[in-house]
Amino acid sequence: MKKKIIITAAVLIFLTASAYSQTAREISDKSSNNITFKSMETALTLKIYDAKGRIRIRQVTTASKKFGAVTKTVMKFTAPADVKGTAILIYDYENKDDAMWIYMPAIRKIRRIISSEKSKNFMGSEFTNADMSKPNMNDFNYKILSSETYKNRLCYKIETTCKNEDIEDEYGFSKKIVWIDKTTYLCYKIEFYDFDGELHKIQTIEQYKKQANGKYFAFYMKTENKQNGRQSVMSINKFQLGSALNENKFTPAMLEKL
Amino acid sequence: MIKKWFLLITLFLIVIISTYGQSLFENNITKPDSVKNRTIEFNGYARASAFGGTKLFDYSSVFGEFCLKSKLSKNRTFLYADLRFRKGLNFDKEYSDFQLKEVYAGYQSNQFDLFLGNQIVTWGRTDGFNPTNNITPNDYFFLTSDFDDQKLSNFMLRMKYRFTPVIEIELIGIPFYSPSVYRYDLFNINGNVIYDKAILPEKTFKNASAATRLNFEFPKIGFSVSYFRGYNPFSGFNVQSIDWSTGTPLITNAATAYLKNTGGLDFALPINSWIIRGEAAYNITENYDRNMYIPNPDISYVIGLEHCFLGITTIFQYVGKYTVDFSELSEPVLPNPSNTAAQMQYAENMIIYKSSIFNRKMFYQQEETNRAVTLSLNKDFFYDKCKIELSGYYNITSEELMIRPKITGKITDMLSASIGGSYMKGPKNSIFNYSAPVLSGFFTELKANF
Repeated sequence: MKKKIIITAAVLIFLTASAYSQTAREISDKSSNNITFKSMETALTLKIYDAKGRIRIRQVTTASKKFGAVTKTVMKFTAPADVKGTAILIYDYENKDDAMWIYMPAIRKIRRIISSEKSKNFMGSEFTNADMSKPNMNDFNYKILSSETYKNRLCYKIETTCKNEDIEDEYGFSKKIVWIDKTTYLCYKIEFYDFDGELHKIQTIEQYKKQANGKYFAFYMKTENKQNGRQSVMSINKFQLGSALNENKFTPAMLEKL
Repeated sequence: MIKKWFLLITLFLIVIISTYGQSLFENNITKPDSVKNRTIEFNGYARASAFGGTKLFDYSSVFGEFCLKSKLSKNRTFLYADLRFRKGLNFDKEYSDFQLKEVYAGYQSNQFDLFLGNQIVTWGRTDGFNPTNNITPNDYFFLTSDFDDQKLSNFMLRMKYRFTPVIEIELIGIPFYSPSVYRYDLFNINGNVIYDKAILPEKTFKNASAATRLNFEFPKIGFSVSYFRGYNPFSGFNVQSIDWSTGTPLITNAATAYLKNTGGLDFALPINSWIIRGEAAYNITENYDRNMYIPNPDISYVIGLEHCFLGITTIFQYVGKYTVDFSELSEPVLPNPSNTAAQMQYAENMIIYKSSIFNRKMFYQQEETNRAVTLSLNKDFFYDKCKIELSGYYNITSEELMIRPKITGKITDMLSASIGGSYMKGPKNSIFNYSAPVLSGFFTELKANF
């Protein structure tokens, strides 16, 4: 009996120690990998509320697929009418600047655009371009602040700080605090802080659904701007694991044909 | 038992293949009719547009317009139509107009595209000034808040073939000529000048235009080489006759199309947060020394830099032109002022001289080397609800200046309004000096999309 207790205690100590021995970076990597898909297609609705509660609605269809070291994403705006037909192609590289092209039906031209503005708002919402792609994990320093319960989930509370001012400018925040579920490694809440260290935005992520490949996909994201009272909600109407589109479809020439 | 398993596996494979063979992305953007695999889409807008307040015209271009765009697709084929119904005032004259902006049929596949009909084609990677873009004519006097409204379609057969996803060749055949619209008659140059009907090439096979472009779009750089052979949509004018019957010369001019060959190249090169764009064309013409409406051969080029400063998208461009075989025109002299015949000859020579000078101004061939700079600034405010644009152009050679500010606001998702102006200034007898009384003014537009 004594032996049994010792073994159980040893196992518990080992498990606890191994949990705490995970660095903040490892936890963040796990969390990121947990929601990274090699290919997928979505149809989403973006609701943008201003401070007075007035709403604007955007609809976008996206397809994303990894080819070698680059993840290629194509987005097509389907509503409202004034942006319908606009298409964007992004080549998301791990360790170098993305390549981006845009096609606007009105000018009938596929145009290469500057890709470095990750901090720029996405379609006039509180989401940023950075929210639309996987961040470069090497751009940040990571620190475990504490353990905290968020919506009945025991979470790691991790502070993620931009490594330098250039990166701060690129992403549009100085640091973020991230709540990652200790069991599933899914991120449920992010607080973004501005360059003065003041709370700027709170992003909440909900409705994770486990997909056939074992990864999770969030069907609901909300970002509230605590400084101006605006908020934006992104909800996924349709999701498809994998993409039937071949590499030809992820080329600039195809943007005008979508 | 084996048969049962075989059937189950077959059924499973069919389900898997049919699931993965479909694309949510493609289905969601086309919404096909599930029975006939056919889609039909309608969209468009209604707008009220006003451009006016110029020195010569209170109402340069004021109209209401309804635009209907429709696309009928089935499998890889489609029909596309962009129809415009317009009624209003154009340079103080009432008009109502039905325009087929674009109407064409097409076939598209991963490797090969074919389009036939009235299309608008824009080549080139620089902004506003595209020396390689010789396909599409423009109505330079259709004045609205957006320069893109000036593009006109022409009938053509257009094919694209992709050797790889990022390398494609485009071939265009234009069976007959469509000119740009340039209203010389509106310029208050001289009361004794009238403009006759434009002289266009006969609609014959030998006067058809052909163009090709080999385009490369790599992640690190995009570039193309192109060739155009045909009549330039933008033409000069010729002096048709000088009538002395009233004692003072009555000059009849006519826009006259000319043939040219153009070899072009363009590129866009992203470097960190900058994009360098460039475009150049070598224009080859013949008989330019005997015809004032034909420009000399030239090398036209544009080099531009794009960067975002404090959220302001900034595009700076240097626009240059080197005129090949350039020689100064000599002003006629009057050898014998007391001889009436000599006086008339002198006057006619002077008319030819002045008209040739004017054509050179139109072609930006006033000097052997002509230089200009452009600056474009634009920024979105209030979460993309408001956009402020400022475009400037300064011709270093001729000292002409144009400034065009514009503010666009989105009142709702469907309704937008814009307001702005166009200001032109140039030295006496410059093109901008002639144009300013017609084109320097204010514009506003209210547009509802559906």
